[in-house]
Amino acid sequence: MTPATLYLSNDTSSRAVGADRLAKQLRQQSNARLIRTSSRGAFFLEPMIERDVTEGREGRMVWCNVTASDLPNIVAGRGGVPLRSIPFLSAQSRFTFSNFGITQPLALDEYRTRGGFEGLERALDMARDSIIEELKIAGLRGRGGAAYPVWSKWQAARQTESDEKFVVVNADEGDAGTYCDRMVMEGDPFRLIEGMLICARAIGATKGYVYCRQEYPAAAGAMRAAVRKVEEAGLLELNGRPFAIDVVLGAGSYVCGEETALLESLEGRRGVVRAKPPYPAVSGLYRKPTIVSNVLTFATVPNILTRGGAWHASLGTDRSRGTIALQIGGRVAQPGLVEIPFGLSLRKVLDQFGGGMAAGSRFKAVQVGGPLGSLFPESKLDIPICYDSFSDAGAILGHGGIVVYDEDTDMVELARHFMAFTADESCGKCTPCRIGSLRGRELLDLVHGGRATKAELTLLTDLADTMRTASLCALGGRAPYPVLTAIEHFPGEFQTRLRAQEAGTG
Amino acid sequence: MPDQPSLDRNLDQLLSEECGRSGPSDKPKLLKVLLAVQERMGYVPPHSIPQIARRVGATEADVAGVLSYYPDLRTFAPGRHVIRICMGESCFANRCSRVLRALNDHLGIVIGETDAGRRFTLEKVYCMGNCAVAPTVAVNQDLFGRVEPEQIPSIVDCYR
Ligand code: SF4
Ligand code: FES
Repeated sequence: MTPATLYLSNDTSSRAVGADRLAKQLRQQSNARLIRTSSRGAFFLEPMIERDVTEGREGRMVWCNVTASDLPNIVAGRGGVPLRSIPFLSAQSRFTFSNFGITQPLALDEYRTRGGFEGLERALDMARDSIIEELKIAGLRGRGGAAYPVWSKWQAARQTESDEKFVVVNADEGDAGTYCDRMVMEGDPFRLIEGMLICARAIGATKGYVYCRQEYPAAAGAMRAAVRKVEEAGLLELNGRPFAIDVVLGAGSYVCGEETALLESLEGRRGVVRAKPPYPAVSGLYRKPTIVSNVLTFATVPNILTRGGAWHASLGTDRSRGTIALQIGGRVAQPGLVEIPFGLSLRKVLDQFGGGMAAGSRFKAVQVGGPLGSLFPESKLDIPICYDSFSDAGAILGHGGIVVYDEDTDMVELARHFMAFTADESCGKCTPCRIGSLRGRELLDLVHGGRATKAELTLLTDLADTMRTASLCALGGRAPYPVLTAIEHFPGEFQTRLRAQEAGTG
Repeated sequence: MPDQPSLDRNLDQLLSEECGRSGPSDKPKLLKVLLAVQERMGYVPPHSIPQIARRVGATEADVAGVLSYYPDLRTFAPGRHVIRICMGESCFANRCSRVLRALNDHLGIVIGETDAGRRFTLEKVYCMGNCAVAPTVAVNQDLFGRVEPEQIPSIVDCYR
């Protein structure tokens, strides 16, 4: 009997819920051949094992939330459900994440068979300006916080004369609740490298860096291994010269996700924000023209070159083109990664993909875009997911991390948590953020402990105004938003804490 | 500290390796060197600042500045195992505070402390990218997801 071919994800989160233990047991079976892939991102089903089905046109069968006792059935092919019967997966439009769950992350031949490096090949045949033009047609905006048009950055770097230029992947945008960058680096590292090479070709860069969060050791390891493989295959070369890519680890500072702080850190110094302009595209690493973009932005580029800018522009909304990788987490029934065109409402995403609330939980608030994102109550869920409607609502999409909080969440404690985060992470360059976040945390401590009066709450909102208008970068500038929106939408919880105090002293 | 001299010799060897590895044009990066020291020793001993400064060609103030800036760099020896608990939003929503309490109770230490037997150091992080299976706890490089407070003794005790 030929052994059954089984697929099991080797992604960090799959391993965190037991994939390695299953792999060890499966390796002892002679009638099963195990292949470790990337994860499909349906993390609520992990660990998940897939099996090739030879008969019929069913595609793969899957077994979800597998435990050791399920293994005999899986090896024998008993039970399981067809992969395409899982709506969470079949309802997505996957382009950037099209290889996930299918390929082995470090198999270069698989990447190429599935269309990998076609984008780069096209780019090598094109004039530099045509590459940039293609991105302009695509309407690609940076997938980080600022959503700046990518082509315009590239053009600035291309047009700046310099003996050296750099391509830097910002893999340190550590918004809590986001994990798509980690998944790309671990699960499809060649796509990121291809995006970097296309950018290097377009602007005439001489060297590349991947600045990776220290919290993602598996991602850094996969990137290093992938760079080595591409180099061995003779593909790490541009214009007849070697194009070196270095993978550099950060050291736990959130602000290093800000592009200028990242460059300071890359140069070996404290990761403190630089005043802009000049922008990195003109004067970046070692004051040379540098493109700093996040992982997902680079990973989106190969498809744009392969399929054409017009294809990308045909997806999404008027001013948010293409697809977005949403990462659903918190108290939902189905946490996981979803790639869909921009434009679906937050409510639909949570219902359709999030699967509603986790068992026994009731919705209270949702936050999009990490620790600097605004908190939305139920009444605001109809907002469409695109850059402009979010900014109109005073919110940010950031990295597309969505965290859902349930009824049991104490909003005062949550607000205090955000201020403590800002105080921990402030780079200290500007006073509104450095001092403001400390004062803000003190005030929220008072409220939380039932020791504050109305006057302190007013002071807190004044302080928030100062931080918002006078901070140098987004950390201080956006830190007030989760706090202010918590006060705005859940005033009762703050008032109750005050009254307790006023009753005590009055 | 009785083992200080040998420690310094180790450090010197490590520093020359680290600095020798980067080519002449590529000046050794302070942060990278500090991370390498920590990787080898578990922390960056404050008394090694002058030595590092000399090797890297930076001022002592530069070294102290970088050392104090990055949350991951330690200036004290941690326990044999470093336990990190995630306090990011997805973990917060999934009640990481209860997991933290279980860790506090079981280990008898709070965040930033090392237990009396120097077995465990407890630290906090904001997100390890494991949000979809939150709450998250890491022991050294091993990550645990969907952690329930009740599991803490069995997770931790494997490392005793
Ligand atoms: S807002 Fe905060 S993090 Fe940003 S530059 Fe000012 S002090 Fe630094
Ligand atoms: S929020 Fe805890 S792992 Fe991301």
